[in-house]
Amino acid sequence: MCGLAHYFESEGFATVLVGFVREHIEAIRPPRALWLDFPMGRPLGKPNDPAYQMRVIRAAFELLERPAGPVLEDFADVIPVENGRMGYALPPELVLAADEIGDVDKLLARVEDEMAALRPAYEAAVAARGRTTVGASGLEISGFAPFIAAFVRGEIPKSPRKGVTPVPMLKLVVEDLAAYYTEARTHRDGIDDLELMGRWFWEETEAGRLLLSLEAVALESENKVLRAIVDMSLITPRFWSEGPLPGTSGSGW
Amino acid sequence: MVRLTEMPAVAHGFISELEMPRFEQPAWVTPKPAAERRVAIVSTAAVSRRGERPFSWLARDYRVIGKHDRDLVMTHVAVEYDRTAWQQDLNTIIPLDRLEEMAEAGEIGSVAAEHYTFMGAADPVDMEKSAREAAARMKQDEVDTVFLVPI
Repeated sequence: MCGLAHYFESEGFATVLVGFVREHIEAIRPPRALWLDFPMGRPLGKPNDPAYQMRVIRAAFELLERPAGPVLEDFADVIPVENGRMGYALPPELVLAADEIGDVDKLLARVEDEMAALRPAYEAAVAARGRTTVGASGLEISGFAPFIAAFVRGEIPKSPRKGVTPVPMLKLVVEDLAAYYTEARTHRDGIDDLELMGRWFWEETEAGRLLLSLEAVALESENKVLRAIVDMSLITPRFWSEGPLPGTSGSGW
Repeated sequence: MVRLTEMPAVAHGFISELEMPRFEQPAWVTPKPAAERRVAIVSTAAVSRRGERPFSWLARDYRVIGKHDRDLVMTHVAVEYDRTAWQQDLNTIIPLDRLEEMAEAGEIGSVAAEHYTFMGAADPVDMEKSAREAAARMKQDEVDTVFLVPI
């Protein structure tokens, strides 16, 4: 992001950015930057809080009034995070082994029941918000769990989407599944708490168990791309964990 | 305050090992007066219009979002950031409604017709060509101010 600022400024635009990693801003020295001590994923701070969002924008745009740069200032407010982690992370000990997965068909049935129970809340959320972020994969909602379950059985199913190979498709379907759950729950229960939503989805739901099962299968897979999604930590949220997933470097990027 | 030294092991190792590009003789543009600015947002959230081609994992390209587009999906590869905020309110990551309000109030001149998204997981140096293409479109749109927002 800081690098992009230099490119746009060199094209004749006045640029201003907001950023999360102060050390990067200090190193790359974009023309104007406002550092945010916020969790990642919320650069304007708070959803459905226009006044707060406006404070962030105004503080950033205020830097456009400075006569010379580079300018780096800190936003006056802090949105606290837990233990230095800027997003939810699975507990390092919560790892499923392949021989603990059990009957995949029964697990799939439990996920489908759970999804059916959430459907009214999901639809109410879409109606209230006038939009949904579910659908990045292009699959129907009813297709999410069966597609993932095929991988858990050790298959590499064909991708239903032209131009997207099976494992990148799997990645999109996993995000769609998670979005279906959290869109429903944040609306139904009026929750805006990323740690609570992370704990619920990943540690308490059947869908979370399906994805931990997927991780276990990917860890032992001979398919290089499927293996890469655990080496690169692309399925389960372990980036902010205290230790890497056993058997991986924690980040193969 | 979350600084690198306070981050847990995996993240600290990853983020502190990223290579930082150097920009010799950086440009500095004198901004227009606030009430005359035409503002475009550049986001690295890998958001695009529903049905468009997803971003690849290390995509160097970009997508265009019209200022009235709200039916958007995210195909970012990373899992380290919270997605529940943008699910609730697009303005938490791409504040198009807030910019419109600022334009209506005269705090800025206008909101660009087009806004741009990139894949934040890719190296910015690899995005230079795409950034310059986006810049050419912004010039057509008479943009003079760019607000860059990460995810």
